[in-house]
Order: sequence, then C-alpha cells, then structure tokens
Amino acid sequence: MTPANRLRALFLTPAAAVMLATLGVPLAIVATYSFLSRGAYGGVEIPWTQENYTRLLDPLYGGIFLRSAWISLLATVGCLVLAFPLALFIARSGARKNLYLALVILPFWTSFLIRLYAWMFLLRDTGLINTALEALGVIHAPLPMLYNEGAVLLGLIYGYLPFAVLPLYATLERQDPALLDAAADLGATPVHALFRITIPLSMPGIWAAAILVFVPCVGTYIVSDLLGGSKTVLIGNLVQNQFTSSRDWPFGAAASLVLIGAAIGMLLLMRKSREELL
Amino acid sequence: MNRRRFLESSAAAATLALVDCTSGPRLNVYNWSDYVAPDTVANFEHETGLRVRYGTYESNQEMLAQVLSGNSGWDVIFPSADFLGPMRDLGLLAPIQHSLLTNLNSLDPVFRAPPWDPELQWSVPYMYGATGILYQKQLMPAPQSWADLWNAKLAGKITMLDDATEVFGACLKKLGYSLNSADTAELRAAAQEARKQKPLLRAYLNAEVRDQAVAGDVAAAQAWAVTAAQAIAAAPDRLAFAYPREGFVRFADNIAILRESRRIEAAHRWIDYLLRPAVAAAIVETTHTATCNGTAYSLLPESIRKDPVLYPPADVLNRGEWLLPQSTGSQRLRDRLWTEMKSA
Amino acid sequence: MKRALPLYALGAYLFLHLPLAILAIFSVNASRFTIWEGFSLKWYRAMFADRDLLESAANSLLIAVAATILATIIGTLAAYALWKKASPWLAGSLYLSLVTPEIVTGISLLAFFQWIFRYLHLRLGMHTVILAHVSFSIAYVVLVVIARLRSFDPALEEAALDLGETEFGAFYRVTLPYLAPAIAAAAMLAFTVSIDDYVITSLVAGVDSRTLPMVIYAMARRGVNPVLNAVSTVVVAGLGALILISERLRRTA
Repeated sequence: MTPANRLRALFLTPAAAVMLATLGVPLAIVATYSFLSRGAYGGVEIPWTQENYTRLLDPLYGGIFLRSAWISLLATVGCLVLAFPLALFIARSGARKNLYLALVILPFWTSFLIRLYAWMFLLRDTGLINTALEALGVIHAPLPMLYNEGAVLLGLIYGYLPFAVLPLYATLERQDPALLDAAADLGATPVHALFRITIPLSMPGIWAAAILVFVPCVGTYIVSDLLGGSKTVLIGNLVQNQFTSSRDWPFGAAASLVLIGAAIGMLLLMRKSREELL
Repeated sequence: MNRRRFLESSAAAATLALVDCTSGPRLNVYNWSDYVAPDTVANFEHETGLRVRYGTYESNQEMLAQVLSGNSGWDVIFPSADFLGPMRDLGLLAPIQHSLLTNLNSLDPVFRAPPWDPELQWSVPYMYGATGILYQKQLMPAPQSWADLWNAKLAGKITMLDDATEVFGACLKKLGYSLNSADTAELRAAAQEARKQKPLLRAYLNAEVRDQAVAGDVAAAQAWAVTAAQAIAAAPDRLAFAYPREGFVRFADNIAILRESRRIEAAHRWIDYLLRPAVAAAIVETTHTATCNGTAYSLLPESIRKDPVLYPPADVLNRGEWLLPQSTGSQRLRDRLWTEMKSA
Repeated sequence: MKRALPLYALGAYLFLHLPLAILAIFSVNASRFTIWEGFSLKWYRAMFADRDLLESAANSLLIAVAATILATIIGTLAAYALWKKASPWLAGSLYLSLVTPEIVTGISLLAFFQWIFRYLHLRLGMHTVILAHVSFSIAYVVLVVIARLRSFDPALEEAALDLGETEFGAFYRVTLPYLAPAIAAAAMLAFTVSIDDYVITSLVAGVDSRTLPMVIYAMARRGVNPVLNAVSTVVVAGLGALILISERLRRTA
C-alpha cells in the first residue's frame, strides 16, 4: 500500500465504522422486523411473514403515499421558487455574504415546534393577521387560514427553506460574474441572462436543493398535525403511529423500508444532483 | 423583585441545576406533566435525603416506548389503567409491597379495589379523570350530549381529541354501545359516525384546545376534564363543561414501579409520600386534578371539592365507563378505521 | 432587477424572522394566553427557576458540542478521502443517512441499541444520543467540506510533497488551512441539526440525557406556554449575538 492509500484508508475508517454501526446494522434489524409478526403488546414475534408488505398494497396506504408525495412536491417547488432569488441576493452581496447567510440559519436554532406555534398564533381566527385585517376594515369575518392544506404548505416551506437556500447559494457563489458581463456586452437583458445563463448553470444546485427539501418533507408529520389540525394522515404519521399508538412494529418497519426504497429510487433517477452533492 | 435580585436568584438556580447533574445515584421518576406541585419533589428530597430525577411525558405511548426495553433507567412511572395489564404481561412491572406503604388506607374505597388491579398488586391509583365537552356559554342550547357535536350550525367551530380511543369512544356512546366495544359491526358504525362528523370539524386537538377555547376560536370541543378546568379558570364567565348524557370515557392514572428498578425501597418511599393526605391535597390545590386519595379530598377547600368539572357528583360519574385494554385484533381494526377516517 | 432583488430579500427575511418577533413579544407579556396584558419578566424568572429546563439545556449544549466536534473531525477526514478517490459504499451510505426519514432513523437506532444492550448491560444515555447525533451529522459535514475541496488545486499538495512533506504533513499544513472556512461552516450546520433534533433524540435518550427540545415538546403539547417564548428568545438572542461578534472579529482580523 502506498502512503497515500494508507492515509486515505485511515481517514475513511472512522466514518465507515460509524455509518456501519449506526445505519447499516440498525437498518438491517428493521428489515428483519418487517418480516416478523406483531407481538401482543408491541415488539416482534415469530412466525416469519410477508403480510406486512402485502398489507401495504392496500389502496388506502397507496393513497397516503401519494398524498404525502404530492404535498411534498408542492412544498419543494415553493421552496425552490422562494429560495432562488434569496440565494442569488446573498451570493451577490460581497463582503456581507456570511452575515446574510447566518441570518437565514438563525431562526432554525429555536425549536421548530415553537416556531410552528408562532405561526398558529399568526394564522388563527383571533390571531394577529385576522385581528389586524378586521381592525383595518379589510374583512368583516375572520379568514380561515389555519387548519387547511394551505397552512400545511406554508409550514413546510417555512421549515425547509434554508435547506434550499444553502445548496443554491453554494452553486451560485461559484459562478463566474464575467459570464454575465459578457452576456450584457452581447446585448442580453438581465432577465434574459438569468434564464439563459444563471439558472441553467445552477441546475445541479437546484436538483440538490430539491432533494434536500423533498425527502424530509415526505417523512414529516408535525407540520400537518399542528397547522393542518391532524385532519389527514401522511406517510410520516402512518410510520410513527405503528411504532407508538398501534404498536405494530413489523408493519411500521415495512412502511419505513418502502419509504427508504422510494428515496433511494429518486436518488438514482437524479444522478445529476449526486455529482453536485458528493 | 428588582432586577438585581432577579439576576442573582437566576444565577443561583442555574448553578444549582448544574451541580445537580453531577451528584450521585437518584430515584428516577417519570410522570405526566402537571401531576405534582412545584415543591413536591424538593420537599420529598428535603425530608428523605434522597435525590430525585423527575421527567415528564404526555402520552402512555411515549412512556411505554421508553421503558419497553427494560433498561430505560426509570424507577417509578404513572401508567393509565388500560396500560397496566399489558405492561404487567410484558414483565415490566415490579409488585407493590404493601408492608412498605403506611398511607394506603387514605385511598378512596373505590380505588382500594379498582377493577383493573383489585388487590393493588402492581399499582396504586393516583389521579382520575374523564372526557366531556368544553363549550362557550353563549351557545344556545348548551351542548349536553355527544350528538350535539354533530350540529352543522357549529361547522368549523368544533374540535375533537386527536386520539382514536377518544373519538371512537364518543361515536360508540352516541350510538349507544360500549366504548370498549370490540365488535366489528359496532366499530364500523362508529367509524361511519366519525367520518360524517369530520367535515364539520375545525381540527383534532388535544391540550392545544385550551388556548383556543379561551381565545374564542372554538365553540365546542371534546376535551379532558383537567384541560377544561384550566380553560374555565382562565375565562370563567365564558366557558363551561358538560359530561355528555350518553356516557363518556373515564380513566385513571396509577403509580407503578418498573421491574428494572434497583431502588425498589426508595420507590416505595416516594409512593408513600405521594399517598400522604397533606401532600396529595397540596398537589391537587396547585395542579387542579382529581385525586384518588379520599382523605386528601376531604382536606381540600370547598371550592375545589364542589368543582363540578373536576369532582362531579356520583350520579354523573356513574354514566362514565372505564377504558379497558384492547385485543390485538380489535386494536388493529380500530387503527385501520382511524387511518381510513383520517384519509377520507 | 438591481433593486428588486434586495427588496425581495428583505421580504424573505421578514418571512423567516416574523415568528421569532412574535415569540419575543409574547415572552414579555403578563398573560399566560396570547392576549396582551402588559409588560412582565415573570416568564424569564419562571424559566430560570425550572430545574428540568435548565438541566435539559445543559444536556443539549453538551450533546451538540460533543457531536459537532466528533462529526466535524470524522466528516472532514472522510470528505478528504472521498475527494482523493471515490468510494461508492461510503458515499452511498452517507446519502442513505441523508434521505432516511428521521422517524425511521430513530426507530432503527432504538431497535439496534435495545438489541445490543441485551448482551452488554448498557443503558440509553448521553453516549447513545451523542452517537446518534454524530451519525446524522456526518453527511452534512462531508457535503459542505467536499464542496470546498472541489475548488482546491491538487497541484498545491503535490508541490508540498515535492518539498519533502509526508502525505499527512501535506494534508495538515496545506489542505487543512485551505478548508478552514468550510470546516467552520460544516460545524455550524452540524450544531444546527443537533441542537434542534427531537424525533431521533427522543427515541434514543435515557434518563440522564433529556434534551431541551424534548422538554419543550412536552411543555408545548400542553398548549401555549410563555416560558417557551422566553427560552426561544434567549436562545436566538444569544446565538444571534454570537454570529454578529464572530462576523465583527472576522472582518477586523
């Protein structure tokens, strides 16, 4: 082994060991659980069975998967649209870049749950927005802003916006400003340059942002419970319920594995983002 | 308190907390939130010299998930009655040694032989409660039955608890069945009722309903009596509570010791302390809960003893039904119906 | 567009910070409910008197710092190794950790700990929480550091080797200093994901390792609690001040 290879192996070992112990083995255990039967009060029991997977074929669960994917897709698009101009602004703000970036992350050091409660206060019938609008005479009855899909979407976009800003900023910051100057010299308007140069060059970052937002959105349940009033079941609720209130670990394990499988499938489809990320 | 004293006392508190982390072995108590007075733990420590680490949880599932492994580190827990059987069968509980408890006689006669543990082998009843309807007094007529929560005039102003047992319990009672029903046809009919009600609902809320009822966003809500009592205390002229005519869920939370505990004797001292009438009464006075301790009840001021929300008269309570554990099959059906109803 | 962009950014920052402003306002409200009743510091006093809260805050800080240090070291080394030569297995598993929903990560770790502890007579505690946090932070660290490595010219390292440095010496004296800003950013990201994690932590925490988010969740589920507003305000104000100071230092340096 050359010294270079030895160093590389040495550097790789801790990460590989941690990932094996805290990801590989645990997921293997979950995979085993998914083929066992539910214990009377939780836990797992023999006999071996595939019933947990056949149960998932039920249209009821298919619908839940689809609904989760749909709302996550909407949230992802929303995050990208909102994050791109912000990332562009930060990337082009010179010496203050780090400060502006930190201001994006700062709200995320308070508990997500507390921030969702603040939104609940803003959105509800007797909340700040409705009270203010009524006082101004714009509306006469409170607008129903809380406990609907719009509120859930708002919560998801709010919660995952930084996950979109960071990778977008990373690609935009690396782009050579000379390209835009050249475009301007050739007579391109700024809007034209944005759509013909900046955005196409940012595609890897856009894909990375999309994945970083979409995947956690699919698994989340707190936003839809708090801002949606628990009126729907998303895949995150389904998995969580199996491990808590219904105490059906094998079924929860099977649903988890399908969810991970879907995430991996998506990654394979979007090779582009892989090149950008790692 | 001026600002300087405020800073001094907070610094002292902060130091205290940091020192605490490093001291020796402790009795680890895992309880529902708002179930002891602010000074209960400190008084117990002062009296016995034992150290207590006190954690809180919000649902039986949360507690069970922690202790299921048998190596959670907790000593004393407070499971609801319908969780005691399963936990005992899983071998998680240690037997209660009556010889170590001097205050057991202070329990109300009803709770000295409760249906879920008649000889108090595994548990000591602690608090009880029930589910009913919290509503705005201005509502005419005032809701008195579960069926009133299906009133289309209140559409968008009603909430139900986010809990399958509670929602199906209300539906089963509305239809005249037992809320512990395991009958497929009855459960399906109940789920149908829940599905009919869903479009009228504002949301499924648990404790959060308190704030919204006080603010006036919610007109009528399925709520726990304890939550309702807190809301009513904040807005006594606007809010009221009803025990539904058809019957309702009753539950009891019990003190139990985990088999994994290596501090069985200290755990019994803690239980005996909580059973002491003066201590139990002080807890009720600050937390506004319903105690299973008969002697403590008689020590309470009349305003609490006569509180129709926390301590309703016997004929009202008798309409209630205790929650029982469900079989695997029935639990699975309920879960499926709940998921279907929520997805509809 | 020159003027539209800053205007838009202002709007976006308002959107991100509005809830924080609301929290700060209600943290000095005398009423327990969301109705303004006058100025009061009582929720701050209540916060400092709450032993559970202070203990969990100390735990959170300890866990986040420990996990951040470990994850940053392990992640930086891994990023360097991956930059030298791709390793599909490690890259793949880092991806997997990134895309696995939190609830699944938490449950699988809990199942794993329960399974090995049966043989080892260990208990859930600080060590399990820190291990879990290191595990989910590594991928973020690698992500940030490797992005910076891509713009690094390998010729610089080769030059160092030609001048008689060992492989490690070249990494330590040439590459590492170049990576410093990315490592700082990676550590910040790791700290952020660690300090706010609830789902995974709540599953693998033991008696002595309850974190601030766990206590906050338990409190919040009882309904709005102004003490929580006080806690968040202190956290944001403290960390915000830290950011401003470090920014000032960086500029004067």
